[in-house]
Amino acid sequence: MPDPRPCRLAALGMRNALGRDRHEIWPRLLAGDQSRFTLDRERVPGRALWFGAVQGPLPAVPRSLVAYDCRNNAMTLAALEPIEDALRDAVRAVGAARVGVVMGTSTSGVADAEEALAHERLHGRLDPRFAYTQLEFGGVAGFVAELLQLGGPAYTLSTACSSGARALASARSLLALGVCDAVIAGATDTLCGLTTNGFSSLQAVSEELVNPMSVNRKGLTLGEGSAVFLVLREPGGIQLLGVGESSEAHHMSAPDPEGLGAETAMREALADAGVTPEEVAYLNLHGTGTPLNDSMESAAVARVLGTALPCSSTKSLVGHTLGAAGAIEAGFCWMMLAEAEAGEIALPPHVWDGQRDPALPPIRLAEKGERARAGRRALLLTNSFGFGGNNCTLLLGRELDSGGGAC
Amino acid sequence: MLSVALRRWSAWAPGIEGAEAWRAWSAAPAPIAAEGTPDARFLPAMLRRRCSPLSRAMLHVAFDACPEAERAAVRTVFASRHGENKESFPLFAGIAAREPLSPTRFTMTVHNVQAGLFSIAAGNRQASSSLAGEEDTFPTAFLEALAHLEREPGRSVLLVVGDVPIAPLFQPLIPEPASSYALALLLARDGEGTKLGFEPTGERRRPGPEPRLAWPQGLELVRWLHDGEPSLLLGERRGWRFRRL
Repeated sequence: MPDPRPCRLAALGMRNALGRDRHEIWPRLLAGDQSRFTLDRERVPGRALWFGAVQGPLPAVPRSLVAYDCRNNAMTLAALEPIEDALRDAVRAVGAARVGVVMGTSTSGVADAEEALAHERLHGRLDPRFAYTQLEFGGVAGFVAELLQLGGPAYTLSTACSSGARALASARSLLALGVCDAVIAGATDTLCGLTTNGFSSLQAVSEELVNPMSVNRKGLTLGEGSAVFLVLREPGGIQLLGVGESSEAHHMSAPDPEGLGAETAMREALADAGVTPEEVAYLNLHGTGTPLNDSMESAAVARVLGTALPCSSTKSLVGHTLGAAGAIEAGFCWMMLAEAEAGEIALPPHVWDGQRDPALPPIRLAEKGERARAGRRALLLTNSFGFGGNNCTLLLGRELDSGGGAC
Repeated sequence: MLSVALRRWSAWAPGIEGAEAWRAWSAAPAPIAAEGTPDARFLPAMLRRRCSPLSRAMLHVAFDACPEAERAAVRTVFASRHGENKESFPLFAGIAAREPLSPTRFTMTVHNVQAGLFSIAAGNRQASSSLAGEEDTFPTAFLEALAHLEREPGRSVLLVVGDVPIAPLFQPLIPEPASSYALALLLARDGEGTKLGFEPTGERRRPGPEPRLAWPQGLELVRWLHDGEPSLLLGERRGWRFRRL
């Protein structure tokens, strides 16, 4: 029976500490390459911290879009450039009025606003290059819509660390509703004083590199980046098959220690796709490396998926990219499906010190070089759990014997 | 055209509260005042104390529009163009001055703070979105509410939109008049309520030096609900059409 809500993730652009596009990122992801983290003594006064910062110049925002010219939008542009031809082809095919944009972020142009205010302290006025459009959350989607001259709906979801996953969930619904024939969906976050100092003040940031699921874990390592997908209402290729969502009714800055919200999100993603836990080949963990996240998440994973399913947290390779994490990690799953062959899926390793926490259920953490067997359908899950108790789990899949290219 | 049932609504603006006051405003609409906060009498006292002016306004209308028996059961969409801009401003300035940041103030200025507070206050564990869509935040949020109904047609969605004035230093950067307001709409796929049609027209519009409306787009919907016109066209950057079905 054909899927009544086909949702093809037809193209992926990505930029983060691991590289400039999927071809550069994929081998480093599989190698568990941590060499791009940098130690910084400036961002948080009095602390030397590791960051998954994107090095080197970002593409220039076109002069006609100067009101959107901030680092966050330049990061989106960096992710989008490798697939810009595919995006423009889709816009031509369905018409600009039928293309929507749903982006996620937790920062928008906060870094530029901080610089504008530092300028104001020195000179008594805001830096004249600063525009409010750079700071407003809605501008993240607005920038993409203006860049591609789109007439469809454009908005930005900001539900902290689940923003990027949620953007893909909304894209699928806009296609199913019939208000768009293509949606550009993804998320971008960039390092700024607010989030680096904010998470540090919450004592959530580790002085050492993030060490998820370890008995020695001390907190997260922050990163930045962007992932952008072209999402189409058509079967085939890599599909977004399931979405699970929950709130926690618990606490503004800490997850429910029992992991009930995480459990609901995973169960609903499976139910939405009509998939049993045994059919899933891999889970990309939220895996922030904070004591509480990892204990509640591993407990929820063990309850829903058991302890034999290979899992990994890729935050020890790119850092926690906050609002972008859900899209970037869905992007890693997309790459795994795109690269899958002969019923086998190469897994990103879980990079850590290997010291299990005896208090956590023994969920299976993927080793370097590990491959998962997949049946006729390769099915992968990715978890995103946000501040304020906002959870979203996505299920991506691909028919492996359908012939033809995946993407 | 998409269709939806508007089951209940509640709006607040400084000096305008209750069905009679909104009927009077709708008959002679005028710009909305910038300063003021609702009494938020529906909220537990402890929660009320933690709320910023924006959270207080948004939770006030959320609790008013959604009957207590349904508060834990609805999906929610919280939308604000500016969010906690005014509350965040001292934090940005503190960063620029390299002062330490308060973890509580950081937590309470994230864009989804109202969603988190509502979830805790109402014991609500359902799906929730928080969003912004520049000048067209209200119609894009309406679309996101319909996206939730698409995912789970049997469950009502509580849509809450609101704004308060941004930081004074930023106000000259946008042409929008500073105003404080909040609007909550309780929406269902069908059933009892005012049947509305909704569609993005696909038209690209350009924001002018002055907004097309002298009051927030969400309140223009309230005005339209009181008049007899068959349809309403909103939008600064796109066209969005509402229709009575």
